[in-house]
Amino acid sequence: MIDQLKIDFEKLLEKSNFSKKNIEIKRKNFENFIEKGFPNRREENWKFSDLNQIISKNIKNLSFYNDLSKPNKIDQSIFIHGLEHNKLVFVNGRIEKIEFDYEEKNKIELLDDLVLEKFNNTSNSLLFLNNAFVSKYFKLIVKKNYSLKKPLVIYNITNEDLVSKSINLKVDILLEENSSLKLIEFSNDKSITNFININYKFDLQKNSILKNYKIDNNSNSNVKYSFSNINQNSNSVSETFLLSSGSKFVKNEINCNLNGKYASAFVNGVFILDETKHHEIKTNINHLIENTKSYQLIKGVLEDTSKAVYQGKIFVDSKAQKTDGYQLSKAILLNDNTEFNAKPELEIYADDVKCSHGSASGSLNEDSIFYLMSRGLNYQEAKKLLINGFLLDVVEKITDSEIKNLVKNIMSLKQ
Amino acid sequence: MLKIKNLNADIENKSILNNFNLEIKPGEVHAIMGPNGSGKSTLSNILSGKKGYDVSGEILFENKNIFELETEERAHKGIFLAFQYPLEIPGVNTNIFLKTSLNAIRKARGEKELDAIEFLKLVKLKAKELKFDEEKLNRQLNVGFSGGEKKKNEILQMSILNPKLSILDETDSGLDIDALKIVADGVNSLRKKDNSFLIITHYQRLLDYIKPDYVHVLMNGKIIKSGGPELALELEKKGYENFN
Repeated sequence: MIDQLKIDFEKLLEKSNFSKKNIEIKRKNFENFIEKGFPNRREENWKFSDLNQIISKNIKNLSFYNDLSKPNKIDQSIFIHGLEHNKLVFVNGRIEKIEFDYEEKNKIELLDDLVLEKFNNTSNSLLFLNNAFVSKYFKLIVKKNYSLKKPLVIYNITNEDLVSKSINLKVDILLEENSSLKLIEFSNDKSITNFININYKFDLQKNSILKNYKIDNNSNSNVKYSFSNINQNSNSVSETFLLSSGSKFVKNEINCNLNGKYASAFVNGVFILDETKHHEIKTNINHLIENTKSYQLIKGVLEDTSKAVYQGKIFVDSKAQKTDGYQLSKAILLNDNTEFNAKPELEIYADDVKCSHGSASGSLNEDSIFYLMSRGLNYQEAKKLLINGFLLDVVEKITDSEIKNLVKNIMSLKQ
Repeated sequence: MLKIKNLNADIENKSILNNFNLEIKPGEVHAIMGPNGSGKSTLSNILSGKKGYDVSGEILFENKNIFELETEERAHKGIFLAFQYPLEIPGVNTNIFLKTSLNAIRKARGEKELDAIEFLKLVKLKAKELKFDEEKLNRQLNVGFSGGEKKKNEILQMSILNPKLSILDETDSGLDIDALKIVADGVNSLRKKDNSFLIITHYQRLLDYIKPDYVHVLMNGKIIKSGGPELALELEKKGYENFN
């Protein structure tokens, strides 16, 4: 694989015209990646999901150069209907559409000619890979006091033309003071066995609000990693909801730094997995100053031989008195071959804090099924009602009612 | 309506019911009384088709053997079990559940399903009759309901589904006198010439409010004595231990 990496990297540099500065940074990142390789289970963070093995098992002849010279057709039927929204559309890793029709033009800014970060303080090799191979790096700025009138949907669409490629995308979002954004990341994949590596960075200035909904719902054979780094200033709120269901493998990693007083972070997620799917949610919520709050609720329903992992970490700095941290995970295992791994981690250096965690997994309650069937529902209907009821309270946490309805529709939770 | 012939039921090789016989005709109310562990709940579970028992014998409902029928098919035919311990179902709205249940049964019977408005009209009326707090119908099914509310909810379901045979499994346990009266009124209002009831209870208290046509005493999986309402009083006086 190393030979392929080198050939593809040189090809990328040759075919693109990156700035001198960026080429220098890319080379450095490339070397870092070559040195570390894909993460494996020897790293604590990857203990339950050995990416190196998952890639070699699921993707034959992975290549890293993706020709972006020709535009891709957009399948309009994939777009979310019944919800007015702005669009950033990526097809096979290439930006194909930028549309902010609902917004005041001077209140937002979209940059794509950026100098890459150096990542001095990370050991995450996938960020190195991303930096080395990303071709266009976007940054969206929402100006002071502006709230986007409509949600922004970032579409990550892949089609049949894409086979065994590594796709790297990078998007930064800056919310200036008192601004707000509702962001939906919507994937739709018809491609075959690719590795999709996305790196988001969010900077939330004072009093800003980010609502981030990640929806991966259609079945596909891709392996995905998404890293979101969220930096929050005082009084800012981040709300993340994950519908983790469609892809063969997904790891969503969320690193959230609560840097300003009264900042709060909410991470809620649902796994709905079948066949041999393997999904993970990994969070690091860092309470770095007093009076910050975090809340995490993760639920999963697992069928066949699927596997879900939740590693939720709450870190409380010695300065972070009056921290309020909460996490709970629950799973229904529909048969004996499924697996749910929950690893709560609490690292607390302050003494006046409120932190709690819990985790539970079990099978569907047969007595509840009997109760519902004795009222005329057949087994499948009873099972569906119980599962939907189990998942509903996570979806109810979505604070935007329009998007909550959308998610309920997607999950067929409408009652 | 219901004919049980030589019913035997074992669970994990332990005999619960042996050679149990009972016949209930349309319009009749039968009470089965018995001590703990006599097989009362097993009987109601088996009538509703709960899995996990080894059974033999015959259960005829309207002259058809129902052994092979699934739980929901028995519900469609008009058998209703009011649970001793109604289950809490998180995330499922009570009203939506009631509507799903009613329409599943109506559909199976070839009747027109009720739309939201027709259903709400019906449920409001029934809730009022049973003095059931309507606001509770918008909550999750039985979640956070008191013991009495859960039992009333069972009777509400019964009155909405209008079954032919209602089995009340210790519906009186855990009820105060007021709730007991409401539950009994609910049952009495459903007593018609075609509707039958099988009331399973420890105490004769409930039978002060619902007058049974027959009382049966169940001990060790068998009916040891049958009679009229006076049998319940006799039982109350003597206790199960001295009763023969």
